[in-house]
Amino acid sequence: MLEIRELTRRFGENTAVDHVSFEVPAGQMTGFVGANGAGKTTTMRMVMGVLGIDGGEVLWKGQPITRLDRRSFGYMPEERGLYPKQPIIDQLVYVAQLKGMERTAARAAVAELLERFGLGERTKDHLEKLSLGNQQRVQIIASVLPRPAALILDEPFSGLDPVAVDSMVDLLREYTRDGIPVLFSSHQLDLVERLCDRLVVLAQGRRVAAGTVSELRDAGVPRFRLVLGGDAGWVRDQGGLEVLDLDGTTALVEVQQEGAEQRLVAEATRRGDVHEFVRVRPALSEIYREATA
Amino acid sequence: MSTDTSSDTSSGSSTETSARRDDREPAWLLVTRREIVSRITDKSFLIGTALMIVMIVGFIGFTAWQDEKTETATLGATPEAMAMATAIKDNAADVDDKLKVTLVELDDEDAAKTALREEDVDAWLHPVDGGWELTSESSEQDSLTDVARVVVRQQVLADNAAGVGSTVQALEAGSTVSTDFLRGDAEKAGVAEAVGFVFVFLFYFSALIFGMQLASSVIEEKQSRIVEIIAAAIPLRHLLAGKVLGNTALAVIQLLVYLAVGLVGLSFTPYKSYVPSLSGPTVWFLGFFLAGFVALACLWAVAGSLASRTEDLQATSTPLTMLMLAMFFGGLSLEGRGQVIASFLPPVSAVVMPKRILAGGVAWWEPLVALGLLALFAGATVWVGERLYRRALLQTGGRVSLRQAWSAAE
Repeated sequence: MLEIRELTRRFGENTAVDHVSFEVPAGQMTGFVGANGAGKTTTMRMVMGVLGIDGGEVLWKGQPITRLDRRSFGYMPEERGLYPKQPIIDQLVYVAQLKGMERTAARAAVAELLERFGLGERTKDHLEKLSLGNQQRVQIIASVLPRPAALILDEPFSGLDPVAVDSMVDLLREYTRDGIPVLFSSHQLDLVERLCDRLVVLAQGRRVAAGTVSELRDAGVPRFRLVLGGDAGWVRDQGGLEVLDLDGTTALVEVQQEGAEQRLVAEATRRGDVHEFVRVRPALSEIYREATA
Repeated sequence: MSTDTSSDTSSGSSTETSARRDDREPAWLLVTRREIVSRITDKSFLIGTALMIVMIVGFIGFTAWQDEKTETATLGATPEAMAMATAIKDNAADVDDKLKVTLVELDDEDAAKTALREEDVDAWLHPVDGGWELTSESSEQDSLTDVARVVVRQQVLADNAAGVGSTVQALEAGSTVSTDFLRGDAEKAGVAEAVGFVFVFLFYFSALIFGMQLASSVIEEKQSRIVEIIAAAIPLRHLLAGKVLGNTALAVIQLLVYLAVGLVGLSFTPYKSYVPSLSGPTVWFLGFFLAGFVALACLWAVAGSLASRTEDLQATSTPLTMLMLAMFFGGLSLEGRGQVIASFLPPVSAVVMPKRILAGGVAWWEPLVALGLLALFAGATVWVGERLYRRALLQTGGRVSLRQAWSAAE
């Protein structure tokens, strides 16, 4: 498990990351969301030791993280590009060797990954000769070499076509199945919702929400939708509730006093038919919008 | 549950990693090798080097050909001038060893003028009042004229001397002015001057080309953020060391090739007698080049790390290009006391001291002291450069000033 504790980074007067804490549990995918400039990239760079830390700490398996630990991590920086004028196999082997792999093992691992991403025929091509999507695939391979102990990926899905997104997702799932913690940032909330076990939301350098997706969706003030046989106008007069929307037989209410929703159901059944009474959980995009507002 | 699995696989892989780390190459060596391999497989580098070799061979070949080239001239003479013309033909080689004279006998003045016009002869020798005249179509027969003047003068002098019962030798006795140079002869000084120019030029050329290349490869890594991947894997110190070593090795190898081609080429020319005396200064030059290049390479890496895009390099490298120009012109133009001072002053000493060694008259300890000072200077730039490079490299968003880089938190 990777733990981030009270991490802080200032650039002059500006506090880019302000006492941010969260966890990336083993075998889980943690999505990192927030507007541009919220501090996601700065946080990830501090975790990877690429940027100095002004306050707080990063723990790996309960101990302060070391350079050797970080070396075993897979990391994909925000803006990317490897060496444009070098054959892709050569530069991937180079990166793998820098991360401590032995040459023959590195070649085998690189060849296997290139094959898997459909680049098996193009190993000798210069990076600049590949399409943007294929360059992105090469970048992904660079970040998962060698078999990483943890993955820190900054916007790994940006610029990928749907097929590449799927092979990336498959690859990430393979790693989480093996118990590897994965932290990735993204602007694509639908993707985050589909993939992530957990979510961390940053706004202006502060953590504004964190937890599993269902925890977050359950976290706010509970809302219920009520659909009746007859007119729902009387709901306005019920105590302990705020009516958010009222349209003929349908009412959307927010519970302000505990138990008020139970009294509402009792009153509704007394008055006539109840077609539907359901808890409404906000979509992730809504939570995100509220949290970062 | 998942935590257990994780600790199992991770501890397994970490022992594996540490076992692997022992037989693994050090990071700086990996970087050095990549620098060298990616450069020598680069077509433009190979073409540039090949072109330079062709230029060196061509230049030496041309000079040698110019030197060896013999001129032939056809001299026409009417019967009364035949004796004098024969004397010119026979003595031409003593006066100008590159001139070969052939003789054509002409019947009279008219035949001579026709032969000149139809270019059967290059010049026509005939006696006039109080001397001799060499007539030619234009003034292009300078070598022939010089030879004719000397030979005719000798012949006439000898005749006149015989007329007064003396000899030319007797008349000329005591009139010679011989020369003696404390610092070797003029030709040797000329060769030293020329080779000195070549040394200064090669240093400037190599340091600029490889420096620029080093700086732009630093920007390439910074701009593409691959440096973040590298920084997460190895200390940046190793990255810098690898880049500087790789480029230094390439520059030295290229320089060795140029010098070898130059010296071998020279040994096929009339200047071959100077080759042995040049090898000592050449070895010194290599030593100075090595120390000077390392010092500058670190500064070039800093210039690259301060820029955030290739377009910024022009601005961040200006102080360096100025320094290099100062070294180039200083190396070429400094004389006397200024030259002596500059030959100890790093980094200019890297070009000035080899030039002084070539010219001769340098005490044995002088190059050693200069090289020591240069090495100290290189050590200082490596130390300062490493700090600046490390701090500037990971700063994104615009150009970084030296002051920012120096005081930036890591």
